[in-house]
Amino acid sequence: MESWHGHLLKERVDQSSLLIQGNRACVLGALDAGVRFYAGYPITPSSEIMEAMAVELPRIGGVFVQMEDEIASICACIGASLTGEVAMTATSGPGFSLMQEALGYAIMVQAPLVVVDVMRSGPSTGRPTAPSQADVMQARWGTHGDHPAIVLAASNVADMYRLTMAAVRFALRFRTPVTLLADQVVGQMRESFSEELLGRYRLTSGDFDFTPGYLHPDLAREVHLPHVLGSGEYPHVTGLFHDETGFPTNDPEKTDKFLRELYNKVAHHRDELCLYDVKNEGRGRVCIVAYGSCARSARAAWRLADQEGLSVEVLHLYTLFPLPVEIVQKVARRVEFMIIPELNLGQYAHEVRKMAEQWTTVIGIGKTDGTLITPREILDRIAELVGKYESV
Amino acid sequence: MGIITGAFLRAILDLGLTRENTVVVSGIGCSSRAAGYLNLNTVHTIHGRALPVATGIKMARPDFTVIVLTGDGDGAAIGGNHLIHSCRRNIDLTCILFNNQIYGMTGGQFSPTMDPGGNATTAPYGQLEPSFDLCRLAEAAGATFVARGTAAGVRQIEKIIKQGVQHPGFAFIEAVVPCPTEYGRRNKPAKAVDMLEEERKRSISVSKAAKLSPEELEGKIVTGVLFQDVERREFQSTYAETVARVKDAELARRLAEGAGE
Repeated sequence: MESWHGHLLKERVDQSSLLIQGNRACVLGALDAGVRFYAGYPITPSSEIMEAMAVELPRIGGVFVQMEDEIASICACIGASLTGEVAMTATSGPGFSLMQEALGYAIMVQAPLVVVDVMRSGPSTGRPTAPSQADVMQARWGTHGDHPAIVLAASNVADMYRLTMAAVRFALRFRTPVTLLADQVVGQMRESFSEELLGRYRLTSGDFDFTPGYLHPDLAREVHLPHVLGSGEYPHVTGLFHDETGFPTNDPEKTDKFLRELYNKVAHHRDELCLYDVKNEGRGRVCIVAYGSCARSARAAWRLADQEGLSVEVLHLYTLFPLPVEIVQKVARRVEFMIIPELNLGQYAHEVRKMAEQWTTVIGIGKTDGTLITPREILDRIAELVGKYESV
Repeated sequence: MGIITGAFLRAILDLGLTRENTVVVSGIGCSSRAAGYLNLNTVHTIHGRALPVATGIKMARPDFTVIVLTGDGDGAAIGGNHLIHSCRRNIDLTCILFNNQIYGMTGGQFSPTMDPGGNATTAPYGQLEPSFDLCRLAEAAGATFVARGTAAGVRQIEKIIKQGVQHPGFAFIEAVVPCPTEYGRRNKPAKAVDMLEEERKRSISVSKAAKLSPEELEGKIVTGVLFQDVERREFQSTYAETVARVKDAELARRLAEGAGE
């Protein structure tokens, strides 16, 4: 293990397992994936990411800057990204709102970067220390205009590690910002995290190409990219609609072509981008579709249901956007009910409904009191639906 | 604006900056469109945010000369927070702020540098608010090179830009420029040539201004290098020194650990 790991993982409890906080695991994943630039502004419950970056980046020759606000933070990341650096910032709801305009700029100029949003209750200041999943739609549609979005959701400490890595990979591969959603529980809890697991999740160097301006050959045909600053070419980078020269254009045909290419470079690669996990595949009348901390409750509900003689399927989504249309529809065809527990008033349930209502009944369980949804709450709802169960 | 852009280009040509290592970053507004007319590495960003983008570029690539072109709206209104913090950080950027007292691109609304009494579409009964003195703001916030020039004094501003780019730290240069299209049509004088002539008449050098009383300086545009401090620590190089120190300590720690085994 590289030297900086020792520092980050000082909460190590024995040789094979580590007790580590979600936010710290995120930093580990970022550094392993090659992030060497971090600009941020502290906000609960994400600040531990920034604090760990402040310690670790100088030790490995990276750049850490505390900026004056979240707008400046994401802008500094974009600046670094334009020079070919792998840049990241982390925030929570209010800060994520401030970043939205610049996020659109990053999409427009195809600057890869990772934004981690450790969600808290909102709107406004809300409850900074309570978990929430209410930024799902902000992550998809927060910035103005038609645009692609890649949004991942972490459900535990190991996810914070590996999905941060995946976020970096997707950002570099698709030359676009990637949002990783966590919530207060996932970000701030400590869990044991084995070194073996860490090794298994570590992506090989072949998964990354750090060449500045790199674009996967599959994508090179689809979109025009600006040159990297200092590459010897003299790019003009602009948030205005631009053509293949990089200079602004008002030509309707070129504008339309550019926007569609930008959109399709993500939409056409759903296969690669949609990460998910199916438990108890094809063995229940009910499927719990879950992400983030609610996926933990969903998995527990599945085990509990099993003990009580009911078979329940779980579709755990790690990628929320682009929409995992194929898998959701595949599962929808074989179950009577899809239950979506989430810590909001049904933001993702609405998306699932759009994808699945042709085949199944989609029911959301929304909770916004700042506490987690318990496995029992999910099970009770299932019992009610299936009519087979006595509530406990 | 073209006059200042020309002066800027002559200045960087004279300094012998290479195209490879020169990056021009701008925000949104008339001034910021200048970036699109230059055959350099140019980054046209979003409204008010040229300075933080430039900060990211400079921190990632300290070998680049990074110059920010901004305006009174972009740099002093929406981007005012970034301006004061860039000054405070004293990062090695050169910020040229085109001050024409008006929002030209959106059709003639007042900017925070418009003189009280001036007319704008959003100040139809005259500007009610006091205006910013951006050079005093920059100096107070910690900029280590603060200068002002005008479109009427093109040779002077060319020289100022050269000095600013060479200055090791945050260089703030206010370029007072006329906007006959949107400012002139609602104020006096109205025509471009008359506006330039007025600027020339009102301009006074720092050395001459030093001999005048505040009353005598009323309405004057004080030009030249108003403030310079080469002693104060520059941010990027301080960061680089810190990285070197932390890495040395890390190496020493690992060697000590190795020796102990």
